[in-house]
Amino acid sequence: MSSEILSQILWTEKYRPRSLKEVVNQREIIARLMKFVEEKNMPHLLFAGPPGVGKTTVALALARDLYGDNYTRYVLETNASDERGIDVIRTKIKEFSRTAVPPGVPFKIVILDEADNMTADAQQALRRLMEMYVETTRFILLANFPSKIIEPIQSRCAVFRFMPLSKEDVVERLRYIADKENVEYDEEALEVIYEISEGDMRKAINILQASAALGKVDVETVYKVVGLAHPKEIREMIQLAFSGKFVEARNKLRKLMIEYGLSGLDVVKQMHREIFSSDLSIPEDIKVTIADYIGEINFRLAEGADEEIQLNALLAKLVLLGNKIGGVSSRKH
Amino acid sequence: MVECLAREFGYELIEMNASDFRRSRDIDRVAIKSSDKLSLDGRKKIILMDEVDGIYEKIDAGAIDAILRLIEETKFPIIMTANDPWANQLRSLRENVLMIGLKKLGKREILEILRRICVAENIICKEDALEYIYNLSSGDLRSAINDLQAVAEGFGKVDLDLTKTILRRRDRELDPFETLRNIFGSKYAWQAKNAITNTSLDRDMLLEWLNENLPNQIQDPEDLWRAYENLAKATIYTSRIIRTGDWDLLSYAIDLMGPGIAFAIKNNEKDKWRWVKYSFPERIRELSKTKETREILNSIASIIGAREHISRLRAKTDVIPFLRIIFQHNTDLAAKMALSYGLTDHMIKILAGEKSSEILRKIKEYQTFIQKISHEKEREHEKREEKIEKEKKTKKEVKKEEKISGQTGLDKWWRR
Repeated sequence: MSSEILSQILWTEKYRPRSLKEVVNQREIIARLMKFVEEKNMPHLLFAGPPGVGKTTVALALARDLYGDNYTRYVLETNASDERGIDVIRTKIKEFSRTAVPPGVPFKIVILDEADNMTADAQQALRRLMEMYVETTRFILLANFPSKIIEPIQSRCAVFRFMPLSKEDVVERLRYIADKENVEYDEEALEVIYEISEGDMRKAINILQASAALGKVDVETVYKVVGLAHPKEIREMIQLAFSGKFVEARNKLRKLMIEYGLSGLDVVKQMHREIFSSDLSIPEDIKVTIADYIGEINFRLAEGADEEIQLNALLAKLVLLGNKIGGVSSRKH
Repeated sequence: MVECLAREFGYELIEMNASDFRRSRDIDRVAIKSSDKLSLDGRKKIILMDEVDGIYEKIDAGAIDAILRLIEETKFPIIMTANDPWANQLRSLRENVLMIGLKKLGKREILEILRRICVAENIICKEDALEYIYNLSSGDLRSAINDLQAVAEGFGKVDLDLTKTILRRRDRELDPFETLRNIFGSKYAWQAKNAITNTSLDRDMLLEWLNENLPNQIQDPEDLWRAYENLAKATIYTSRIIRTGDWDLLSYAIDLMGPGIAFAIKNNEKDKWRWVKYSFPERIRELSKTKETREILNSIASIIGAREHISRLRAKTDVIPFLRIIFQHNTDLAAKMALSYGLTDHMIKILAGEKSSEILRKIKEYQTFIQKISHEKEREHEKREEKIEKEKKTKKEVKKEEKISGQTGLDKWWRR
């Protein structure tokens, strides 16, 4: 036995495709990118699409195909959601882009993940760099919402739209990993994982790995894992709000966001799922009213409005609706 | 002083101050246009940028760069003034200009100037009144002259009583409690807006105070929802301001957080004036209380984020929940992962909760196991080294023998 057996990492990392050739989906995009690698030339790129569809993977694979295993020497990777201000652009990214290209290398690459989280002035500064240093540096911007990227940047990039992964692609990959890891699984469970992950490969693989950690991967385990991943506080918070206890509901919300570190979007999406789950007895028409409002809040959060205050408005709405429902049942007596 | 200079040299004075928009394109438009042409009557120009420390990167995007460009390109002198020349955003400017520091005026100088004005303007003036004006001005000559003028214009004379009745300290700020009470209790929109203008709280803190205290003040559920909805809309505007730098939007945010809240209270009007004890924003307290936990969570997110090529936020929302499940249900796997990612005891505790001691024990076992293996490897390595040494020695001996044996040995050596 050697110490390698002790090495256990997340499967999303372990099974990330290393080369464009290994990427199973987004075939048309891959074909065009491989052309770029072949010609050792490419424009600035903008990869747009929902999370977990392979934007980062493809960007890294492209870099590796261009430069080989030492690709990190010619690639600067930053995440705009961690460093969103103009400073990063002016210091780190500028320093990297302006230095000369080493001989034998066509250009360097800056991968800017979650670029739609950049502030407007940072985007303006970035646009200048993209013009000034195009000879030495090409940018690959990754974004969930390309509409949040300013027009002048979009027009300087070749835009690639990544689609959510198909059921076959996801299930096939899950099966491949499960076989490699000697995991016992039900075929049906893999399909359920796909349904839950909505074409987000990272989520699908994480669910698979956590399920495998619990034992055999069957439908029941998968649902158990998904349930565990969603803190029970979400449901408690909804129930408190419905029974008119706004302040207590708000305390739960704070616990979710501050202690668990959930984002407002997460809370909203999980609330949406809870509202429609059969465990809460909410009149069907009220469910629709709530869904409409949750959608509105979701939109505002995506725009960047204060998260707790938006969610408090949502909780206050639930209090109000709960009050109405209570009125209905009291009339029956 | 700049005005004196311009007059002395016969230059035309072009001024840009804090009330103008000073985004880069504004500066480009005004200054660059005017900087290469002589003025209409053929005079040279002098460009005055007043209060450059009032340039904020967010609002006046690119302004400093534009000024630097201007400094390089213009044919005319540029003079900038600043209350705080050491402000961060001025660093690059400082390197490109000659800085002249002007000292704050002392009491003697200000009084002397006020006296001179009085003489020139034929104002009868009491010394104690001037001192009162000086005290109000706290060293700011402009405000002292304005105050003097305010009193003198109306009455032609300046004495202490008159000064005291006319001049008051500039608007007093409202503390958080007064601010909230004024907003909730407003009968007219302007009252609520005034409360926001005069509050001592900055905008973010005011939002926090309101967010905390809406349910304390408002009992009717519909009123409460209306109030939260307006507050929520106000933050949409504030976030748009941050994103676009368009401060015009601020007034709408103020409308929604002031009057928007005051007039959300409709079903139960009594709530407006109900006396409540307001509380400090619990969210702020909570954030500082849980700081340590959140920092540990953040460092887990940094480790995972770097390996998975995702942001800390995404690591927290998309990966850590699943790590938690693994750590709370499969201690064996958890111990191995903790080792692979180099997680600290604190991090393991946050992920695993009560299972953490079991994981830590397993990690110790594995570590001794790894040590044993590496010991064995070392020993093997040593053995191999020894073997090689021995072989070398025997070879040398062989060589020696070969040398001694002469010709045949050399032949062998050559053939190798």
